[in-house]
This record gives sequence, structure tokens and C-alpha cells, in this order.
Amino acid sequence: MKERRKQGWFEFARAVGTILAALLLGFIITLFVSKEPIAAYRAFLLGPLTRTNRFGNWIEESITLTLVGLAICLVFRARQFSLAAEGQLYLGALVSGLVGLYFQMPALLHVSLAVIAAALVGFLWGLIPGLLKAYLDANEIVSTLMLNAIAIRIYNLILTYRLKPPEAGYTVSRYFHPTALLPRIVPETRITTAIFWAIAAVFVVYFLMYRTPFGYALRMTGANIRFAYYGGINTKRVIYLTMAISGIFAALAGAHLSMGIHQRVILNVSMGLGFEGIVVSLLARNNPLLIPVTALFYGYLRAGADIMERSSDVTRELVMVIQAVIILLVTAEGFLAFLQRQMRIRRGAELAEGKEAGDVI
Amino acid sequence: MSSLIEMRQISKLYPNGVLANDRVDFSVERGEIHALVGENGAGKTTLMKILYGMEAPTEGEIWLRGQRVHIRSPIDAIRRGIGMVHQNFMLIPSFTVAQNIVLGREPLDRGLVNYTEALRITEQLSKEYGLKVEADATIDSIPVGMRQRVEILKALHWGAEILILDEPTAVLTPQETRELFTAIRKLTERGKTVIFITHKLREVKEISDRVTVMRNGRVMGTLKTAEASETQIARMMVGREVFMVVDKPPVQRGGVVLQVRDLTHIAETGHVRLRNISFNVYAGEILGVAGVEGNGQTELVEVLAGLRPATFGTAMVDGQSLLNHTPRKVRELGVSHIPEDRLTYGVALDANVAENTVVDRYYRPPFTRNGFLSVGFIMEFGNGLIRQFSIMAPDASVPVRALSGGNMQKVVVAREFSSQPRLLIAAQPTRGIDVGATEFVHQQLIQKRSEGCAILLVSADLNEVMSLSDRIVVMYNGAIVGVFPDAQKVTEEELGAYMLGLKKQDPAEMEAYL
Repeated sequence: MKERRKQGWFEFARAVGTILAALLLGFIITLFVSKEPIAAYRAFLLGPLTRTNRFGNWIEESITLTLVGLAICLVFRARQFSLAAEGQLYLGALVSGLVGLYFQMPALLHVSLAVIAAALVGFLWGLIPGLLKAYLDANEIVSTLMLNAIAIRIYNLILTYRLKPPEAGYTVSRYFHPTALLPRIVPETRITTAIFWAIAAVFVVYFLMYRTPFGYALRMTGANIRFAYYGGINTKRVIYLTMAISGIFAALAGAHLSMGIHQRVILNVSMGLGFEGIVVSLLARNNPLLIPVTALFYGYLRAGADIMERSSDVTRELVMVIQAVIILLVTAEGFLAFLQRQMRIRRGAELAEGKEAGDVI
Repeated sequence: MSSLIEMRQISKLYPNGVLANDRVDFSVERGEIHALVGENGAGKTTLMKILYGMEAPTEGEIWLRGQRVHIRSPIDAIRRGIGMVHQNFMLIPSFTVAQNIVLGREPLDRGLVNYTEALRITEQLSKEYGLKVEADATIDSIPVGMRQRVEILKALHWGAEILILDEPTAVLTPQETRELFTAIRKLTERGKTVIFITHKLREVKEISDRVTVMRNGRVMGTLKTAEASETQIARMMVGREVFMVVDKPPVQRGGVVLQVRDLTHIAETGHVRLRNISFNVYAGEILGVAGVEGNGQTELVEVLAGLRPATFGTAMVDGQSLLNHTPRKVRELGVSHIPEDRLTYGVALDANVAENTVVDRYYRPPFTRNGFLSVGFIMEFGNGLIRQFSIMAPDASVPVRALSGGNMQKVVVAREFSSQPRLLIAAQPTRGIDVGATEFVHQQLIQKRSEGCAILLVSADLNEVMSLSDRIVVMYNGAIVGVFPDAQKVTEEELGAYMLGLKKQDPAEMEAYL
């Protein structure tokens, strides 16, 4: 036990070390491209903490990232490389917006209806590629990317021709009815009650995966689909349900964006946030309990990069390079840790058999 | 006069900390047939990979023909006259036999391959060593036994003086094995040296001049085969007494459990894999299915287990139809299935032992209660099976990937045996596992038989089929071509003749015994 704790500390120290090394590398790049590298880098490192609204931006983004991260985590654990989150996010934003614009009812009911409608459309938009994969063996990468394109076009179409008031100068809808807005809980920020959804969602996904028979079927399908089928699991059902359930969380991220952040339907609501979920989930090694941690980390990097871009002479492209380098190093570190664990597993097995030697092929 | 090969104090430490060879001394004389035996994981393959240049030793010296050498790669080994025939053949399926044999050493005619010359070389080699091959046939059209001969000829064409054969008989029928042995003797008559890796002790006795036994990465000793008994070698391999003969009580046959009639399966490719198969399996008996692999046994098992559809025919367990149901429905009818390939179907490597033991029942109480998985109970259940089936694992929370092949198989056996099956389908239940684990699986099968379970045993290991079964059927080309109502009274040669399709019983005559 003591040994294990020591090991844990060592891993933690190493993770911190890697992050520091990555940040140092980022700084070296900044040295080359900025006239005031220290100021620029300080903006990047400390920016999100300097003002309340910046802090707010960080947390808001982390909520979105947590939700899409969970969506990706579900499908990745079933070894389905569904990239549908982006489209589902758009449709979630759109549908919750439609409810917010066209219905009138008491606040709690209104928000609930909008959220349920978004969740439902996310579910259905995940069910389509799920059924295509399960019954027609259509590659989910291709089908989900295509469906993303369709979802975004539907979003733009309805926004441009239906929701945009004729007098508006640019493509946005009216603000939603106040009853359909998520209550803001931190003054001067756009942090809303969606933060509670995100926290709840983490536990829901964890519980679903590890404490329900469906979650067991999902994990076994991901671990070895032929084993799952042989054992009696209906793997087709697992595939389409997983992709559909994943859609709920991506759509919730969209509802968070439209009902909590923008309070209306805007053009380009996501700009690839659905794909950032992949980074978040992989950093968390597809473990739902780690997803909020990696979402906060990644959200901080994104918020810091944003501030550096706005407040220094470093261009957006270079900011993204720095961000990518840091992610690259951190994932490489995760990969090293993974390898080390695999080796320990093997060694442990040898010891368990009471021998010091064995054929390794 | 020094030995032809001398490996001195060879150690191999893998970067992950596994010591696969521990100060191994191994020497081979010119012209001898030297058997290298040991359980899986004993380090024999590693030692041979070092000799063949595929692995570098951490410590130790290799002396070849009295000179110290460093063998850096297989190409280097071949240059020094060492050839190796692997378990998985390294041939190009769409090329002909002759093309494969001359590959890399082609006879040239103005820069182009002279195919006529390649054919001539092949036929000459084939005649010289008595290894019959069809020089002009493509690899994918010839049987496994011939592919193996092609591998050997290829090594000879490359100038091998020393041939390492890695478990060469695993894929052969008794007749083919005998032919191989004749050829091996002919090779040594011509001054070649053969190292023969195996874990079948009868073969060691039959073919080798000397035998080296390995265990846990160490050499336990080298014996003159003529002076050692099988039991003695087995004890050295396992480190304890092993009961070579399966001890089973007389059969107590009950009622029909599995009834198969006219079962036919046509694959998606249009090939007929099962032709009008009919047989019964009774409670309390083991029905053995013998046959060269690829004659429909895999399809038979998979159709019965619900993994493949039947084209027509019927199969009933206790009067209820088994065919064209989902695997779950089949299992709920009381059928258990040990799959022939445990890595494909049998286990999920990254899931833990407990999770692997409940895949067929996780959704039922007590594993799931009120819609939620009883995680604690499942872990307890896994730990219970670990104890009951002597699975070498610290506890049920370790991933199956961490276990050895034999212990993975025990996980499969534990799961399939613990579901109280009416019918147990065991396909290659001891493939690739060591003597100790094999003995255990055999005992468990006998135990289930005594409990009144009906067992359908499919195995490529003729010895296993003969020693465990009460009745035996032989499959050839998708059909049952022979039935032997008393497994004690049939010889290996006779079964072999049916397996190769040389003999066939009259269907009307067979009917009474199926």
C-alpha cells in the first residue's frame, strides 16, 4: 500500500514535470517570436486568473469541454470512432434555441423543456450513424463527418432564413425569452447552472459505464467485440445506443452555449469544439472521472492562449503552435506512463506465477 | 573436437524485466536430432531466436564450429548455415512452391528469373531429401503439411546446415508426422543437424538422439533420449509428477442431450462447409471429433454455438432448437462453449479476470440487481473461480492480459464450466498450453462428464481425442466419414486413414452409432 502511494506521488511529480517542461518549451518559442516575451507569456500563463470575466471564460469553456469530452469518452470506450459531437452540439444549440424563442412558459419548465429537446435531438443524431454502423457496417468516421456537415448546414439555414430578424445587421437570432435562460451564478461572468449539469454528467457517465449492465456490455464491446458477441452481448445494440447516448452530452454542450453563454442563436457557435472533446477525452485516457480535470487544464490553455493573442504581439497561429506543442508533450507523457504500466502488468504476472522468467514473444 | 553449436551461459533479460533465459548452456553435435522441450514460457523459443539472430542475448557466448560468433540477424544466421522453420509459415500464398523456394536466391537468366531452372532446383531438392512437393502449385492450393515441407526446402536451398524446427508437428496428421520424421532422418544422414522444438514427449522419444529440457528459463538437463523415459522427461519439464494417462471412470451414458440432423452450412463465399451432419451426444459421455483442421470442425462448433447461421438441418438441445439463435439464447438453453481461439473469442485482454468470467451472465441476478451491476459480487465471484480453478493471478482485478496462455485458458474454462451447462462444446481446449494446465483441463472435462454433462470435444490433437473420448467421429471435407463407438478400440493409424479421406464408412452403417 505504501509502495502504491509512493508510486502515485512519483507519477504525479512526473506529470507536473512534463507540464513544466512543455511550458518552458512554449516560452522558448515565445522568445523567438515576441518583442516582449515575458509579458506575452505572463498573459498566457496567468491571464485567465487576472480578471473575473477572464476567469469566467475559462470556466465556461471548461463546462463545454467537459460535456463534449464525456460524449467522446463514451464512444471511444466502445471503440467506436464517432466524431458526431460537433454536429450534435450545433443541433443541441439550435433546438434549445427554438424552444427558447418560440415557447413561453414558467422558467423551470422552459429550461427543462429546452434541455430535454436538445438531449433528444442529440440522441437521434447519434442514433443515425449508430444504426448505419450496426446494421449496414457503414464506417462511423465517414458517416459522422458527413452528418456534421449536414447538421451545420441545417443550423445555418434555419438561423439565416427563419431566426434572424429582418432588421438585424448580422446573422443572429433574437435573445431568448428570459424564462429560457440559464441562471448565472457568479456575478460578472457567464457561469451558469450548466456547471451543475456538467458535474452531474460526469457521475452519470461514470455510473453508466461501471455500475450498469449496459456499461459492462459497452466496455466489453470496446475491449473485444468478438468476445462480447460470443458471450451473448447484443453488440449491435451496444453500438447504436452508445453513439446515441453520447449524442445527448454533445447536444447538452450546445444547449449550454446557446442558453447559457450567448443567450441567442449565433453563427459558428462551435468552431470545432466538438473535436476538442477528443483531446480532452484522450488526455483523461477515456476515464470519465478525469475528464473535468483535463477539461479544466485544456480550457485554461485555450483561455490563456486567447488572452495572449489579444494582449500581445504573438499572432494567433503561433499561439496555436504553442498550445499544440504543450498538448503533444503531455500526451506523449501519458503514452510513456501507459507503456510503463503495461510493463508492470507483465512483470506482475510473472511474479504471480512464482517465476522469474518466461517466453516473451 | 568441439560441438557444432555451443551456446554458453546465455541470458536474455527483456527490457520489461522478464528474464527469459537464465545462464543457459546448450550444445548440439553435428548430425544429431536434438529435441528441445519445455512448457510454454520455459524459454525455448527465445533461445532459438537468439541462435537465429532474431534476438540479441544480454549475456553469453555462441560458438559455431569451434569459433566464437555474433549472430546479428536472421540473414547473418542463414549465411552461417542456420535455417529456421517457424510455427507460422513465412510463404507467399499466391506464389508457386518453386517461386517460394528460390525467393531471394533466384536462378537468373539474363537478369530475369529462370522459372524452368527454379522448377528443376525444387524437384531435385525434393527428391534428394524425400520431401514431396508439387513444384508448380501455388502455396494457397496445397495442404499445410506440404507448406511445411516447402519451408524446409527453402531453408535447404538457402544452404542451411542446421535446421531449427519450431513445433513442426502441431499442424500435422499422424501420417504426415511420420513422413516428416522420415525426412528428418534423411536430412541427418546427409550430415545436416536438426533442432526440434516440441512439447509432445512421444515425438521426443521417437525422433531425437538427445533431448534438452528447459523450465523457467533454465536448462534442467540434457539427456540421451534412449536412456530417458517419458515420465522422467515430463517430471523435469513440470517439476513434479505428471499423470500421463488420463484416468477416467467407465461411461455412464444418459439420455440424448444434443441431437443434430442433416446440418448443413454454406459459407458466404459459397463453399459448402458442413454436409448433412447428423449425430447425437448423450448425457455423461464425451463425443470426440477428430479431423485435420479445416474440414468443417470450426464451422460445426460455431453453428452450434450460435456464432454462425445454419443453412439447413436441425440441432436440438433437450428438445429445443439451437439453430439461428443469438449466442445469448443458445447459452440460456444450457450450452457452454470453449472457443478454439481464446484470443479471438475467449477473453477480452484489457478487461480484468472478474469481468471476463461473467460475460455470459452479467445481466442476471445476482450479478445485476435492480438494474445495477453488483460490482463487489462480481469481484468476489472472480476471486472464487481463481481459487477453484487454481488460476495463477494475484486476484480477480488484474487484466487478463497479465496472465500466461495457460492461465488465460483456465479463465475461459472456469467461466464455461461454472455455468452448469447441459452441453459443453470444447474446441481445442488445450491448444498452446503447457503440460500442467493441459492435465488440469483434462481432469475438469472428466469431472463434468461424471456430473452428467454432454461433451462435444473437437481437437486437432489426436492423442487428446483418443484418450478423453468415449465415442469418436471423424470429419473430412465437411462430412462425417467414420464413427467409432468405442474410442478404446481404435488405432491412431486407422483414424489417420479416415482423416486423410483414404477410408470412408457407409452412411447406412454409421447411422446406428451416431
